[in-house]
Amino acid sequence: MRKSARIPSRRGAGELESEVLAALWGAERPLTTADVQHAVDRELAYNTVQTILSRLYEKGLVSRAAEGRRHLYRPNKGAEELAAEQMQALLRRGPNRQSVLQRFATSLSEEDAEALRAMLKLRRRRR
Amino acid sequence: MTVSVYIPVALSVLVAAISWLMAARLSPTRGTVITVVGAAVLCAAGTTWALVLLALSLLGFTTLAVEEATERGVVLVQPVPGVVGVLAAVALTYGVVRVVRVARARWATRRELRKLCLSCAPGELAVVPVAEPHAFAVPGRPGRVLVTQGLLALLDGKERRVVLAHERAHLAGRHHGLRATVEVCAAINPMLVPVREAVAFLVERSADEHAATVSGSREVTARALAKAALAEASGPRHAALGFIACAVSARVAALHAAPPRPDRLLPGGFLLLGAGATVAAVQATLAFYRLVHWLWLG
Repeated sequence: MRKSARIPSRRGAGELESEVLAALWGAERPLTTADVQHAVDRELAYNTVQTILSRLYEKGLVSRAAEGRRHLYRPNKGAEELAAEQMQALLRRGPNRQSVLQRFATSLSEEDAEALRAMLKLRRRRR
Repeated sequence: MTVSVYIPVALSVLVAAISWLMAARLSPTRGTVITVVGAAVLCAAGTTWALVLLALSLLGFTTLAVEEATERGVVLVQPVPGVVGVLAAVALTYGVVRVVRVARARWATRRELRKLCLSCAPGELAVVPVAEPHAFAVPGRPGRVLVTQGLLALLDGKERRVVLAHERAHLAGRHHGLRATVEVCAAINPMLVPVREAVAFLVERSADEHAATVSGSREVTARALAKAALAEASGPRHAALGFIACAVSARVAALHAAPPRPDRLLPGGFLLLGAGATVAAVQATLAFYRLVHWLWLG
């Protein structure tokens, strides 16, 4: 791999939208623009975050409420409860059906889990 | 029939053994993955065809051929024993049943995943309000990234970016198609199951490498992976353990090591073995054809 590949590449607008949306979904409470900036990437320009949030709002993917002079953003939940039920049903399927799902992470033995936990702890201490 | 009819089977075993031993050491480049998939396809095709030829021997060509040969005073290469013909027919039938089963399961899960995505808001990202941490790539036009709220809550901004990049890499690289292909190969020829698992591992590694490039940090990628794996493992266990045990640990270890260098020799070796299986099948076909031709036309 070339050295230049280590520098974070510039993201497309669509990718940023997903990241902002993911941050809003991952937060427990509604977020201000500054919160979102903090939760996504501190190096991101405030104005960029603002633009993305407006775009998501126009698309109806997030809702916003005014709080003083700021806006508080939260993800719009549509038929997501239905999606949750469908997901639970899908996860209950047997291994034959499971193999089709391309998961982010699978198969972990107890030993491996222990090793990973140790690794995470170690890195945290070093920081 | 000649010995070449059994060669595809032997080569399948060889390809399976090599992918089993080398999966963790192969570099997960697109070229390597495609070569391994290609070798699996060639082996599966060769074996299936060889089984067809062996099963056809049940039709009585060989007995006829032997009688004919003794009459004419010609010495024949040893004919296929009846047992082998029966075994081949059974294996072939079982293989077809397995392929149908795999195809049905894939089809049903795909449909369910699409339906799931339709219940979510439009856009690339589909979030399901489920506490268990999961992330899937859902192929389609356009493909979507399906993530649970539980996973998003667990990770920080950079780690979420890793997950998104990882799933996007699956979609962009059409990894589902590659996996489906080897799955069918392993269904028709169970000896290729290790190849299926090797490909599953390689596409995960490939997506990890892509995520590491996008996020700019192998360290953050490894951390996101470890966090997700631990959280997923602590919940109720849904999936059966993969064939290549400790796949996640192997992936984390690979991310802590230096970026992989492209392989040079191994992909070629894979293709060579696959090609060998095909050539042997063709040779067996020719022998079979000659036999039939000789029987009918003298």
